[in-house]
Amino acid sequence: MLTGAPEGRLRKFKYRGKDTAMRRQQRIAVSLELRKAKKDEQALKRRNITPLSPDPASEQQTKVVINLTLQEIINGVNASDPDLCFQATQAARKMLSRERNPPLKLIIEAGLIPRLVEFLKSSLHPCLQFEAAWALTNIASGTSEQTRAVVEGGAIQPLVELLSSPHMTVCEQAVWALGNIAGDGPEFRDIVISSNVIPQLRALISSTTPITFLRNITWTLSNLCRNKNPYPCERAVKQMLPVLSRLLQHQDSEVLSDACWALSYLTDGCNDRIGQVVDIGVLPRLVELMTSSELNVLTPSLRTVGNIVTGTDHQTQVAIDAGMLSVLPQLLMHPKSSIQKEAAWALSNVAAGPCQHIQQLIACGMLPPLVALLKNGEFKVQKEAVWTVANFTTGGTVDQLIQLVRSGVLEPLVNLLTIQDPKIVLIILDIISFILQAADVLSEKENLCLLIEELGLDRIEALQLHENRQVARTALNIIENHFCEEEENGVMLPALDQDPEFLKRLTKKD
Amino acid sequence: MAMELSDANLQTLTEYLKKTLDPDPAIRRPAEKFLESVEGNQNYPLLLLTLLEKSQDNVIKVCASVTFKNYIKRNWRIVEDEPNKICEADRVAIKANIVHLMLSSPEQIQKQLSDAISIIGREDFPQKWPDLLTEMVNRFQSGDFHVINGVLRTAHSLFKRYRHEFKSNELWTEIKLVLDAFALPLTNLFKATIELCSTHANDASALRILFSSLILISKLFYSLNFQDLPEFFEDNMETWMNNFHTLLTLDNKLLQTDDEEEAGLLELLKSQICDNAALYAQKYDEEFQRYLPRFVTAIWNLLVTTGQEVKYDLLVSNAIQFLASVCERPHYKNLFEDQNTLTSICEKVIVPNMEFRAADEEAFEDNSEEYIRRDLEGSDIDTRRRAACDLVRGLCKFFEGPVTGIFSGYVNSMLQEYAKNPSVNWKHKDAAIYLVTSLASKAQTQKHGITQANELVNLTEFFVSHILPDLKSANVNEFPVLKADGIKYIMIFRNQVPKEHLLVSIPLLINHLQAESIVVHTYAAHALERLFTMRGPNNATLFTATEIAPFVEILLTNLFKALTLPGSSENEYIMKAIMRSFSLLQEAIIPYIPTLITQLTQKLLAVSKNPSKPHFNHYMFEAICLSIRITCKANPAAVVNFEEALFLVFTEILQNDVQEFIPYVFQVMSLLLETHKNDIPSSYMALFPHLLQPVLWERTGNIPALVRLLQAFLERGSNTIASAAADKIPGLLGVFQKLIASKANDHQGFYLLNSIIEHMPPESVDQYRKQIFILLFQRLQNSKTTKFIKSFLVFINLYCIKYGALALQEIFDGIQPKMFGMVLEKIIIPEIQKVSGYVEKKICAVGITKLLTECPPMMDTEYTKLWTPLLQSLIGLFELPEDDTIPDEEHFIDIEDTPGYQTAFSQLAFAGKKEHDPVGQMVNNPKVHLAQSLHKLSTACPGRVPSMVSTSLNAEALQYLQGYLQEASVTLL
Repeated sequence: MLTGAPEGRLRKFKYRGKDTAMRRQQRIAVSLELRKAKKDEQALKRRNITPLSPDPASEQQTKVVINLTLQEIINGVNASDPDLCFQATQAARKMLSRERNPPLKLIIEAGLIPRLVEFLKSSLHPCLQFEAAWALTNIASGTSEQTRAVVEGGAIQPLVELLSSPHMTVCEQAVWALGNIAGDGPEFRDIVISSNVIPQLRALISSTTPITFLRNITWTLSNLCRNKNPYPCERAVKQMLPVLSRLLQHQDSEVLSDACWALSYLTDGCNDRIGQVVDIGVLPRLVELMTSSELNVLTPSLRTVGNIVTGTDHQTQVAIDAGMLSVLPQLLMHPKSSIQKEAAWALSNVAAGPCQHIQQLIACGMLPPLVALLKNGEFKVQKEAVWTVANFTTGGTVDQLIQLVRSGVLEPLVNLLTIQDPKIVLIILDIISFILQAADVLSEKENLCLLIEELGLDRIEALQLHENRQVARTALNIIENHFCEEEENGVMLPALDQDPEFLKRLTKKD
Repeated sequence: MAMELSDANLQTLTEYLKKTLDPDPAIRRPAEKFLESVEGNQNYPLLLLTLLEKSQDNVIKVCASVTFKNYIKRNWRIVEDEPNKICEADRVAIKANIVHLMLSSPEQIQKQLSDAISIIGREDFPQKWPDLLTEMVNRFQSGDFHVINGVLRTAHSLFKRYRHEFKSNELWTEIKLVLDAFALPLTNLFKATIELCSTHANDASALRILFSSLILISKLFYSLNFQDLPEFFEDNMETWMNNFHTLLTLDNKLLQTDDEEEAGLLELLKSQICDNAALYAQKYDEEFQRYLPRFVTAIWNLLVTTGQEVKYDLLVSNAIQFLASVCERPHYKNLFEDQNTLTSICEKVIVPNMEFRAADEEAFEDNSEEYIRRDLEGSDIDTRRRAACDLVRGLCKFFEGPVTGIFSGYVNSMLQEYAKNPSVNWKHKDAAIYLVTSLASKAQTQKHGITQANELVNLTEFFVSHILPDLKSANVNEFPVLKADGIKYIMIFRNQVPKEHLLVSIPLLINHLQAESIVVHTYAAHALERLFTMRGPNNATLFTATEIAPFVEILLTNLFKALTLPGSSENEYIMKAIMRSFSLLQEAIIPYIPTLITQLTQKLLAVSKNPSKPHFNHYMFEAICLSIRITCKANPAAVVNFEEALFLVFTEILQNDVQEFIPYVFQVMSLLLETHKNDIPSSYMALFPHLLQPVLWERTGNIPALVRLLQAFLERGSNTIASAAADKIPGLLGVFQKLIASKANDHQGFYLLNSIIEHMPPESVDQYRKQIFILLFQRLQNSKTTKFIKSFLVFINLYCIKYGALALQEIFDGIQPKMFGMVLEKIIIPEIQKVSGYVEKKICAVGITKLLTECPPMMDTEYTKLWTPLLQSLIGLFELPEDDTIPDEEHFIDIEDTPGYQTAFSQLAFAGKKEHDPVGQMVNNPKVHLAQSLHKLSTACPGRVPSMVSTSLNAEALQYLQGYLQEASVTLL
């Protein structure tokens, strides 16, 4: 009498009152890492390294200057003769471009930066400008402290001015140096942005821009989009978006890669940020790039779309309409586990949406690969797959739940209960408990209990003794509520023999 | 208050500590109580530390260290809303000295102090104990491995929680801090220790210390790598894994032990390394991949060369578990797929580890309790057999056909061996049954999972031809292990074996209750208990009382007789089977009740001297409750007989303060009291004042039972209390006040209050009413929780039903003008959706209906503006799903967080109270009742109700309301 339809009751269960938005957010907030930074992420800073086997012509030159000692370089740089300056700067640059152990620290400590910055301004000597910009690029590619030395040496403004240098090599090197500075973090990024660099970068792009130059520009733009806390300002983003959208049409994979990384940074945040990217209409192209055979394009385009589906239901809908769900199954089966993981993460966020989204997810044949990942994926992939199932169960309709169970999801879930990760174990227990409740409403509980018993009820029973109280308690509740004999009068018998505290006391000899 | 750090005090403390070791409770208990009473004093912990350091008596040293650890365990944590139990100066002094003290103490004391440090660390580390890490790391350099092991042990107890806690910013910040300070020194220590092992390869005593360090280091490795793969360990994986691999293959005669039971250092180290490798294989596959095949080979060799002795059990089971987890990963399939490999795994790893060993036989006979726990309750997680089963399962994932083939052959040949000479070869049959069981459980999964069943075994056929004959043999004491196997087979496959076969087994099982072997009669009892709980169609029990009727007498006789068999006087399985039989047989047991209750009370009297088996006791009380219920259902007057039989024992339990039993006694008394139809007997009234004694209420475990009993008193004897014990009413309210102040127990307070409101004559509580409301408001202001609000809503609506809507309005406004409006606006309207439970919702619905229709101020004061919102929320209560959201900050409020959880309340299911509906038949359908009441109101002031309803009720609610009016066939005028 006082209860609503079964459907309504089920949906109420949700993640104990956490709504969709919160379930989604949970998936993106990673503030602390114990792990090494990921290998397939985009480079923050790059050094311009001299190739190991230079052509014979320049080898001649190298031999001449390679003999300069640090002291000679210092003397040369501080000399008034432009030729000496050039030679010394070039020698310094070469040192800094060595493959191994470039003496960044020594050069900084030698106090060369202010002179190098000065050289940037000597428009009469473009070669000197070039060498100085290169040297500064490499210094800025170092640690935060080393980048700071370049910024505090006053390099930003003259570098920006070099963007309008008539000499393309100089200009290109300046773009690179600014990219390194901006890549350091939000503080320098914003200084670079406020030096009005974006319109100038935009002006450098044309159909005749050489490809290596274009790559540098794109990479620098991506660093201008990078980092949160705070994000780049709204105005800058508005300026960059059309440029990025244009670059996204390019054919070169490095350009595409960096353009996608840029968009991935812009979408890694609140829904308003995501909205700006969605609104420029790049989703169809991003989804197309998700089918790229180049890993460096696939990774960031998938990341961007994954970020977008953390957004509102509407934003997710646009991504679905662009066809992301028809691309995901093959990515879930990708040979690289990092792609599987990323794809499963994206899927988990679609599953956090309304049941219409879940319906589309089923229609696109996502359940079989999902179950396959739960079975055989690497742990980090299984983890995302579990989240997907969790979101699916809490947001899906009863019919959808039935399809989920029929797809064979329970077997791998129960197997995963032995995984050494209490959070994932807890989520699986929640999923099982939720599905049992749903089955109860459909009067299917008995069959489901039987199924679970056969899959390994002993695993749930064993979890009642888990050191983590919440895990133990949830396991206990499942056993008590669904696997304890009921008496005629409806009174539950105490599941005393499974009381975790109890058994521990019995077995502890202390 | 402070205790002086004087010799006199040390002396006193020494004497009391000595007494706490006395076997005589008359000496022990008062000493324990004394210590508890002085532990709040300043310097108490420092006195203990002094004693454990300086006492001349070794026993006192150890005792002081245990007492100290328990003191820390109980008191160190600062609980919100409760006083700090250890003064700041003591805390500082403890932290300043304990590490040094721990490191300089002998091992036995070191362990206690190390535990204490970890408890303190759990609360204080790292923020409030910043120098702990550096203090520990610095000791690594000491070169003294006694000290180093002390540090490692402490680190292990501090860090092992990383293995089971959820990822959180707080936790990971701590781990990062630990990694920064600890990972490198630990790695260096690891390398140095291994080097020392080779320099001291011929020095047994040095090796033992060094290997203890290696074990601890390996454990720390596990904890530090549990949450995620730290950058440091990824960078140093080479060092760790190469060394782990070497250690795994290492053997040194000097470290081998003669002991067959206790695992030696080598075994402990290797099994920890297996765990470490399994962790990496499971979680960090990508990074670990290139090391994995080497580990598989090493562990595989280890298994083939390790003996059957018990001391290798943990190692073997961990090693097998490692293989089991690897073999089901698709990309390692190739390591196993060769037919020779598979055969060899089955022959050399699985079959030998499924065999019944001498040690199992010993446990079966001499340590049956442990044997049963391992075999029956699934606490066999670490056993070889269990691991071997898991490996079978894992292998079947990719190689089901070949594995089944290999084992079919084994089963048949083992059964043949048995048939040749049962008395010599019975172990072969045991192994065959075990193998079938492990393979068949797999087959079940397959059947209900996706594809085909494993056709290896026809379970019923195996039952008929190999299990039944054993159980039918006339001698219940022959081949006890096979008997136990057979009974267990029935238990496990009870859902697969057809009912007619099970019915045949029942008398056989009853017969085996007489077996001398503890395991056999315990299994028989357990199997019967399991069979009796099975469900058939329509959710009725599979076996009916009629089907069991022919065996009733022999069943009951054998069950109680089994309790007299040596070693089973407090056998919980037998007691549970007794309870279950009562429950299944119902009236069929009535003729036997006089004997049964005599036997039960004798048992109760005996065990109350020293209650030691909580499960046994619980089922015994359940059986008592069942006897009462079943008998009194047919003949309520028989309650007197039970009181006669039980009260004597109960009195003794209460007088001797047998803490474990008191909550049970109160529950049984509640059941008895509720069975009385007339006014409360005087024997109960004499007890009433005692129930209000604060000391009883201090034990958390007593509270639910006591509240339940007081409710029974109020239900049956409110008039007697009002007339003959009116002076006890303040005491009763005092209990309410105490309960209401606690977040954990406030709902119990409300149960009591609701019973008072419902049953006590109004005039007897008149003078206290306002005070009650003020107390509730204070609690609302100080600490509002969802649970409290829900109970509060039910209470005020019950009050409204009982005393009238106007009375409710008046009492609120009497406390403070306009208060009633505030309660409506801030609590009732916004929170009513949270009320849960059928009766609770009904009370609220009827109460609110009264407020809407029988409260004049709602119609013609400033409260009128709340009339429609209130109606709207009532319709919401009827129609919308319950609001079960809980604010984030409340998620962790849980009963178990309250201190004293150890005396948890054990509710007796068969003393269960029927749900009580104070509204009862007065209102059957609250929706119709609302319609009728509105109609009545509208006749009193025509025109007003329809206009209020139509102007501000939302459309959906209005539609529902019209539905109610239609259902009640009334209209609003």
